[in-house]
Amino acid sequence: MLAQPIDSQDNGASDTWTPEQQIAHMLDLCEAQMESALSESDLAVESLIKAFTGLADTTRSVSELAEKLPPEIKEVAINGLNQQVDTISKQMAAAIVAFQFYDKLSQRLGHVRYSLTTLAMFVCDRAQTSQKDQWRRLFTTLKRLYRTEEERKIFQMMVEGASAEEARAYVQQTTQTLPPAATGDIELF
Amino acid sequence: MAGAAQVILAVDDSASMRQMVRYTLEGAGYKVIQAADGVEALEFARSGLADLVLTDVNMPRMDGLTLVRELRALQTYKHTPVLVLTTESGQETKQRGKQAGATGWIVKPFNPEQLLNTIARVLQ
Repeated sequence: MLAQPIDSQDNGASDTWTPEQQIAHMLDLCEAQMESALSESDLAVESLIKAFTGLADTTRSVSELAEKLPPEIKEVAINGLNQQVDTISKQMAAAIVAFQFYDKLSQRLGHVRYSLTTLAMFVCDRAQTSQKDQWRRLFTTLKRLYRTEEERKIFQMMVEGASAEEARAYVQQTTQTLPPAATGDIELF
Repeated sequence: MAGAAQVILAVDDSASMRQMVRYTLEGAGYKVIQAADGVEALEFARSGLADLVLTDVNMPRMDGLTLVRELRALQTYKHTPVLVLTTESGQETKQRGKQAGATGWIVKPFNPEQLLNTIARVLQ
């Protein structure tokens, strides 16, 4: 990376020390922290998904076994078993939606990480940072990254001058008005 | 149980998403073939048949919209329903999907029941 470490002024490299490089270095640090947290979470979610699919497969097997019970036992047990399987299936469906939010989170954080890296490189180049057009170009590049409705809305608000606090307030408000585990739209062409 | 033995090609670079799709579809009796990107999906499509393709948009090597165009160029996939399953909800991208030849657009996160209903509908 282009940035010099923060303590570079103490190891004889002070002639290359610039505030821009320090900003870039801090941005890189944020990106690295995010990557580390995401990698850790990925492993945890992976095992959670394995456990989930295992549980789901077992539920299906139980359901299939119930169908094969001798008629006299089936008659007594089937209604109760079916009810239990129905309940589990509904919970599984809710879990499927919830898992997808983690996927969405990873994707969104990936965009933030890319933004941080891009910005870190950008701020190191004075020829670029001093030109308004270059900033506009950077914004256009970053805008293309944001693909979900939420990302686009936040980006738009901030570009139009909203403060981070206003954007946060908007996010909180929209999150609270959403039904739990709201799913996406479907459109057939 | 809908569509027993019908084959669905599920394309997504996220292994967890593929697992969720697989679990949902297999539970309804479909056979699921998984691919991690457009290139892998196309490799399958050139020699194998699917009754429906369910694809993400943003993937490495080959994105979902390019995959749709490539599939439409294959004689065997000219009329196969292709549903796009993505976090992208912008009208512009949807339009590009429609122009590429996609059958429909589903914004993630999907609801398992709604996904199955939509698949059953386009497979009719």
